[in-house]
Amino acid sequence: MTLTELIKVMVLKNMKREKFLTVLSVIGVALGIGLFTGVKAASDKAISSFEADIRGTNPYTNFEILDTAGTDFQEEIYRTVRKIAQNSFPVLKVEGYLPEIKSAIDIQGIDLIRTAGFLKLSPGRGSSFENYFRGLNSAIITRAFASSHSLKRGDIARAFVYDKEFSLRVSDIVDDASLPSNIFLMDLGNFQEYFGKTGYLTRIDAEADETTVSEIKKILPPSLSIGKKEAAIRNQKSLIKSFRYNLQFVSLIAILVGIFLLYNTIFISVVKRRTEIGILRGLGASKKTVVLIFMIQGLILGIAGSMLGILIGQVTAYFSVTAVEKTITSMYRAVSITDYFIPKTDIALALALGVLVSLIASAAPSFEAARIRPNESTREGTFEGGHRRMRRAYALAGLVLIALGCAVSYIDYHSMPYDFPFLAYAGILFIIFGFTLLSPSYLSLVLSGLGRPVEKLFTSVGVITVGDIKGSVYRFSVALMSVAISSALIFALLTLIFSFRNSLKAWINKNIAADVYVKPASCRSNFCFFPLSDELIKTVEGMPEVAGVDRFRTLQIDFQGRKVVAGFGDREIRRRSGDVGLAEEERRAERDFGTDRIIGVSKFLGIKFDLKVGDTVELRTPRGVQKFVVYDIFSSYSTTSGFVYLDRKWLMKYWGLDDATQFAVYLRKGADVPAFISRINEILRPRFSLSITNNAQLREHVLSIFDRTFAITYAIELISIIVSLIGVINTLLALVIEKKREITILRYLGGSWGQIRAKLVLSAGIVGVTGIFLGGIMGPLMSVIFIEVINKVSFGWEIHFHIPFYYLSIVTAVLFLITLSAGLIPLNVAKGVDPKRLISFE
Amino acid sequence: MVTLEGVQKYYGTAHVLKGVDLKLGKGEFVAVTGSSGSGKSTLLNIIGGMDRPDAGKIFVDRNEISSYDDEKLTLYRRKKIGFVFQFFNLLPNITVIENVRIPLLLNGSRDEEMAHAFVSRVGLEGREDSYPHELSGGEQQRVAIARALVHDPDIILADEPTGSLDSSTGRAIMGLLTRLREETGKTILLVTHEEYISRYASRVLKIRDGIIRQ
Repeated sequence: MTLTELIKVMVLKNMKREKFLTVLSVIGVALGIGLFTGVKAASDKAISSFEADIRGTNPYTNFEILDTAGTDFQEEIYRTVRKIAQNSFPVLKVEGYLPEIKSAIDIQGIDLIRTAGFLKLSPGRGSSFENYFRGLNSAIITRAFASSHSLKRGDIARAFVYDKEFSLRVSDIVDDASLPSNIFLMDLGNFQEYFGKTGYLTRIDAEADETTVSEIKKILPPSLSIGKKEAAIRNQKSLIKSFRYNLQFVSLIAILVGIFLLYNTIFISVVKRRTEIGILRGLGASKKTVVLIFMIQGLILGIAGSMLGILIGQVTAYFSVTAVEKTITSMYRAVSITDYFIPKTDIALALALGVLVSLIASAAPSFEAARIRPNESTREGTFEGGHRRMRRAYALAGLVLIALGCAVSYIDYHSMPYDFPFLAYAGILFIIFGFTLLSPSYLSLVLSGLGRPVEKLFTSVGVITVGDIKGSVYRFSVALMSVAISSALIFALLTLIFSFRNSLKAWINKNIAADVYVKPASCRSNFCFFPLSDELIKTVEGMPEVAGVDRFRTLQIDFQGRKVVAGFGDREIRRRSGDVGLAEEERRAERDFGTDRIIGVSKFLGIKFDLKVGDTVELRTPRGVQKFVVYDIFSSYSTTSGFVYLDRKWLMKYWGLDDATQFAVYLRKGADVPAFISRINEILRPRFSLSITNNAQLREHVLSIFDRTFAITYAIELISIIVSLIGVINTLLALVIEKKREITILRYLGGSWGQIRAKLVLSAGIVGVTGIFLGGIMGPLMSVIFIEVINKVSFGWEIHFHIPFYYLSIVTAVLFLITLSAGLIPLNVAKGVDPKRLISFE
Repeated sequence: MVTLEGVQKYYGTAHVLKGVDLKLGKGEFVAVTGSSGSGKSTLLNIIGGMDRPDAGKIFVDRNEISSYDDEKLTLYRRKKIGFVFQFFNLLPNITVIENVRIPLLLNGSRDEEMAHAFVSRVGLEGREDSYPHELSGGEQQRVAIARALVHDPDIILADEPTGSLDSSTGRAIMGLLTRLREETGKTILLVTHEEYISRYASRVLKIRDGIIRQ
């Protein structure tokens, strides 16, 4: 008999016979792989959009000249630069927002004639290019953006740009995959004139070698710097690296549960067919053949799972793109992802993952099958017997792994040897594997303690069930671990989310104290970088009910060699307006340190640069390097790339700026806030497009950003729960399939279906209770690692541990009920068995 | 005690039992012999309440069990019947004593002493905590016999109980069954295709082509 025929008989026929189990396994694997692939594709698209933005309209240039604070600069310098580097191109850019189609856009003014050679702009279309130059508000957009928002040539789009409203006319549509999909290309001159930015540039792209770069450096003022585009791309990628890997890690846990599921299915095939394997071995099949048969079964299931996973991944990617896009827009800067198709490389990755998952899952049962001796075919209990002998060794190995998991996580917490919490992630995996190895001993221990009460409570069914579980501890441990991992993940993520939310609320109470907050409607991120008109601020300051306006300016500055967001606020205004808490803190610090050159740094930077209060840091400013004393290391939930806070007086002194990118308004006591907002809307709306919120709305908005950020985590959690529940059903079903003959014997001995149902539900209940309890130990342990290590190393967010007992008890009850009902599904399988056939089989 | 009147059974188009009439008295040891596929096991399954006849009636202690629904048949099996199978059919992952306790537990009894007593009666004292795979075939069949008797059923149905044992172990098992029948007065219906086994019975019936020939 050839191997193919053997596979047909031993694998395919069996899969057909156990359709439900096969389908469950495939779905379980598919969900894990789909989730992983979808999340990966979505975050990769965001990264590509970053990369496309930096490479932008001049993809063949390798250097860029930027203002060190990220502001626009005077264009005169371009003439000098061009003399040194012929291939240099000026760019003026701004982020805009199209309210009708609710999309953030990236408007770039370029020298089209010089850039056209690099871009695929098909200059053959003379007429449309003419329109492009003629119309002051004409813009070229990408085919991807036009298709996804149904825009065509000649359409006019209302756009919020800077702090005003404009209209943009689509003069042409181009196919160029290297451009960011949400780009609106305008002629540089038109851009400057239309948006009132005459004489300004945002960056200069240059194609240069090291000698040319040295020449350029010589002529640049201190406020400008030239850097490699590659470095900028790396920097941008590193910004969302943590966000991306954290999502992928959680989806990896779903794959882990999928491995359990597949392992279980293959394992069942082995246990169920011991006799057949024994006969095969007796007929001369080698151990290698037996291993191959079961590995191939695993591969078939794994590959089928991957293929379905790719479809699920595509759906996941579609929804993840929106969530990732919104999160990155809030946390970093506006991105728009119009392409959500999984690339070929990810399809290959999904298939490779499927193969890997199936190999991992089927290895142990396949080798177990190969160990079956021809004369062993009727000795069914030998399998559990073998593991029973190994239980102590398993438990010991489990304890060692758990200790190792805690130890490596602690190393990450204490020393942070890497930029990314690899050790903590490894620690979580060690802990999961450790508990898996420990679970048989744990179950035995629980049964020896709970056995008697269960037997008393459930009388004869209790005795039979406890006896059965005691006899199949290893098998039941697999089911138990499915529930345990699922509940641990729920406990850990719920604890993380609620702890985070509570900490955020405390932060809101401390920091959001003004009555009204104003920022440009074009700004979709937490921090805005484009200055507001002076006229606007003056108008507000002049209103009678206003006690003070805290003009807030954000810049992107160089902090110890890293690009971070710097916020400049007006302490005196806050103090005068009654928001004394923070202002007093700063004054006290000035007294303590004997200097007013103080700076607050976010915890993220504190951790990254090992900073303590009282340390001195250096900031690179247009007026040279300046030293400041760290007076506060605070939590900043607004960004994950690091944030520093300084008083406004330093903005003028060292950056030569006195503008604001957003501002907070303090009203006089007794002023009617809604009436004030209506009034400024009335006065300002015709000329400006602004986002105006009152204190409560901003608080609500911050929390809604939080919920949006975690939306994808909720989705991952939900899918992980589904995979785990499939795992529970699969395991219980597998147990029934494995125990069909035992159920039949019980029927012969007079066991009623009611008693068998009670036994199955009680088994499921015991699995549920013990699994949830173990999850209750693993979950908090995982949440401590999530909060204290992974979160700190990745984002530097300070999160105060808060266990949401109320929600956890609801989730626990729901999980328990679902596990119980999972116990009912296998009953139908058991009922479908013809007892006579099973007993007479032998 | 057991009366079968014109019992017929079909499996698809196969007419397995073609009108079986049979009477078993209390305490009788009846052996049914016949070749493979003659309907021996079907007869046992029908008397044991695992299957229903397509025609004919079955009375046990004047109760017509052929009219019972599934629930009543389960109760009937639980109280009145003890099964012994060719391949023992012990639950592999529980110990000897736990296997023997199962019929008691299904009957709502937690009498552990009774289970221990029966393990002793079949000569397995000291092996109570062994698992089935740690026992020889003969020992496993002894456990199965203890399990069949422990809840004090009226009828023992044995389907080729020595079929997977060597002849000397088979004889020992038959000796045990005979001794226990004498001690307990149970009715035993045993099907076998081995001639020497039927010698232990007080009456031997032959089944051929679905019909019993006395």
